[in-house]
Amino acid sequence: MAILRKIKAKIKKVSQVKRKPKIARGSLKKIKAAKVAPPVEKKEIMGQQETAIGKTKFYTAEAPRPTRAMPQELPELYGQDKIVLQVRDPRWIHAYWEVTSQTYEKLRNQLKDEFYRARRILRVYDVSQIIFNGNNAHRFFDIQIGDSSTNWYIDTNGPGRSWCVDLGLLLPDGRFITIVRSNTVSMPIEGPSWVTDEEWLIPDDMFARLYGMGFGLGKSSPIGKAWQERIKRELFSGSLSSAGISSVASPTKKAPAERKFWMVVNTELIVYGATEPDAKVYVQDKQINLRHDGTFSMRFALPDGKQVIPVKAVSSDNKEERKITPIVTKETK
Amino acid sequence: MYKGYLCMVLHSHLPYVRHPEHEDFLEEDWLYEAITETYIPLILVMERLSNDNIDFRLTMSMSPTLISMLTDGLLQDRYLRHINRLIELGHKEVERTRWQPEFQHLAIMYLNSFCQSRDTFLRFNRNLVTAFKNFQDAGKLEIITCGATHGFFPLMDVCKESVRAQLKVAVSHYESVFGRKPRGIWLPECGYHPGHDEILKEVGLRYFFTDSHGVLHGVPRPKYGVFAPVYCKGTGVACFGRDLESSKQVWSSVDGYPGDYLYREFYRDIGFDLDYDYIKPYIHPDGVRINTGIKYYRITGNGNKQPYNPHFAREKAAEQAGNFMFNRGKQIEYLNDFMQKKPIIISPYDAELFGHWWYEGPQWLEFLMRKIACDQETIRLITPSEYLMENPRNQVITPSFSSWGWKGYTEMWLQGPNDWIYRHLHSASGRMTDLVKSFPHSDGILKRALNQALRELLLAQSSDWAFIMGTGTHISYAVRRTKEHLLRFTRLYEDIKSNSLDENWLSDIEYKDNIFPDIDYKVHQ
Repeated sequence: MAILRKIKAKIKKVSQVKRKPKIARGSLKKIKAAKVAPPVEKKEIMGQQETAIGKTKFYTAEAPRPTRAMPQELPELYGQDKIVLQVRDPRWIHAYWEVTSQTYEKLRNQLKDEFYRARRILRVYDVSQIIFNGNNAHRFFDIQIGDSSTNWYIDTNGPGRSWCVDLGLLLPDGRFITIVRSNTVSMPIEGPSWVTDEEWLIPDDMFARLYGMGFGLGKSSPIGKAWQERIKRELFSGSLSSAGISSVASPTKKAPAERKFWMVVNTELIVYGATEPDAKVYVQDKQINLRHDGTFSMRFALPDGKQVIPVKAVSSDNKEERKITPIVTKETK
Repeated sequence: MYKGYLCMVLHSHLPYVRHPEHEDFLEEDWLYEAITETYIPLILVMERLSNDNIDFRLTMSMSPTLISMLTDGLLQDRYLRHINRLIELGHKEVERTRWQPEFQHLAIMYLNSFCQSRDTFLRFNRNLVTAFKNFQDAGKLEIITCGATHGFFPLMDVCKESVRAQLKVAVSHYESVFGRKPRGIWLPECGYHPGHDEILKEVGLRYFFTDSHGVLHGVPRPKYGVFAPVYCKGTGVACFGRDLESSKQVWSSVDGYPGDYLYREFYRDIGFDLDYDYIKPYIHPDGVRINTGIKYYRITGNGNKQPYNPHFAREKAAEQAGNFMFNRGKQIEYLNDFMQKKPIIISPYDAELFGHWWYEGPQWLEFLMRKIACDQETIRLITPSEYLMENPRNQVITPSFSSWGWKGYTEMWLQGPNDWIYRHLHSASGRMTDLVKSFPHSDGILKRALNQALRELLLAQSSDWAFIMGTGTHISYAVRRTKEHLLRFTRLYEDIKSNSLDENWLSDIEYKDNIFPDIDYKVHQ
């Protein structure tokens, strides 16, 4: 229990600090020294590779197929006032919303002219560790949105914090009218927690090593080393890899192709013929199957050089034999 | 005396793709390719290991959609047709390459492996799930479950009823197939949202996995990093974190094993390389060139691709299995000193990576299992259940929100090309909950409609659709499936609400979307 209380107290302390707590950062210094940033970057590179490989599962889908039409469209509106938040990563939230025309009508009637002068706003409240009642947020910030937008990516710059958003109208006199309030989301933290557990304590430097290993930065393997060197190169080489990465919207999108004009030429040879349907036919001394009407055809990849292709037919009673031998020479210039 | 454990986890999943209304359907090939290149090779690996009395342990998740497809009569018939066609093509290839010995031995190799696939498929009476079940019953393989249709839970948190439905349907489906309850789960896309462990507990699941930062960024700080599981605060459900170092050795397309120049090149398939008239009977009837699975070249590096040499590739797979084991051994020795406790390394992979993308992957896995059993004494292979039995005392933390997707959170499934789906999916979830409340009891056609509504909702939720949209190439099938299931759901909802169900139409969509025949819509609450 004592441990629990301690943890709670710590959490409370942190929650009282607005913005990113400096204290917490300080205590994390050692871990940062053990490369907190590179793992994330490294993870991202690997994430891209994983995505690219994962995509091969669906490789056959890559054929164009224009014939089948799309089904009818989904409803644009569901007739509900609603705003929903979802976490994209430790910093970013995605919000989507719908407001019914009846609700806007009501507001228009209430506010008269002011309605047209009001700005549509997303008010983003920091509601970490509290039960939000509309007035007790630690802080908030506003985002002005267009009348026709129905979703938004919000940069909270607040890993580890909890957020709630009101979609509303900001009137010229500064009053804010909430149209609809969202669910609350809690962002993950971006690094290891500063909260420790007495019963399971571990010195910071040791944890840092475990942390690095968990992220694949261990020194035990040549590959681990190769990665570390690579990360170092990327960190110190000005041309930071992340710049390249962030310019790629989707991990599997290819960079514009360089000019690569090309041509391939191959040759194949078709040998075909016919005999009595019940005869036995050998091509280069290997028996082949005839079609029901006694015809046959074979197809060979034709490499450079000379091919001697004896074709022999033997009658079903083994009494007669015919042999024809095409000779083909292929040269490539 | 061994000093720690290695837990190899293969996540096998494909979305439900079954189109009885079309004679040939391109996307069904995802299943057929995976059967030939991944599932059967894995079964054969486990059979060889068992025959040689190698005591191995493997953990494998099998998604309910995959199991449903593997046990579906229509798809089984179609697989047989598919493999027979490949065998026919194989024979032609052996003939065609007669004057090219460097390719002919490969054509023979493919022909033999296709024949072996057909034999294996028929040996298990077309039901490959039986093969996996046998290894589980023998104590070598631990099969865990997954979300019913691989819905991505972190983006379903505003409708937990759907998370519950995904889990309950999955668990009861597992029970009906394997005759016991699943002990653990592979959360779809490894997506964990704090609090979902409560639902895991509710349905009787005892453990799950997260990506490394799911554990490493947990609160309080996990003493042993990802090298020991933790229990979720409040529920006691165990959580195992992925070891990125071992993942990376396999996954990384730059430094990873599968990129070796001696290995088979995935992108040079005769479906694309050979003369159109010749290959036409074996590609899609529309004439679209597709992969056949016959690939003659090795990765090679720069310049002209060289013919594949299976002997060199096999040697390389053995060498890399040795390298992987050596590295894990070093890792374990280091951690053991450091932790004063036996560490566990969790190495999870997409099963379809083995054999399909990485042709030599199943061989590598077999070498690894053999070497661990015979060549060393540092590491022991283990399943999560066995580990928890032997090591019941673990730290209690709240793991962090995370996934194993691009950037580690939800962005792969929540970005420009796919973020539009959530307002529809969430509305449908809300409506499903509403239906369950409105109809706590039902029978006849109403009950059928309610059950079908849940099927359509679950099928729309597959994370695969958002994933494909997120990759940005050839997204039309994914968009189509999302819309189709949502539209069917919406019509069912409206028809149920207005008491105007059309039985013919209902029968038609029951026939098309026939997954989970025993589903009970009331689990969505």
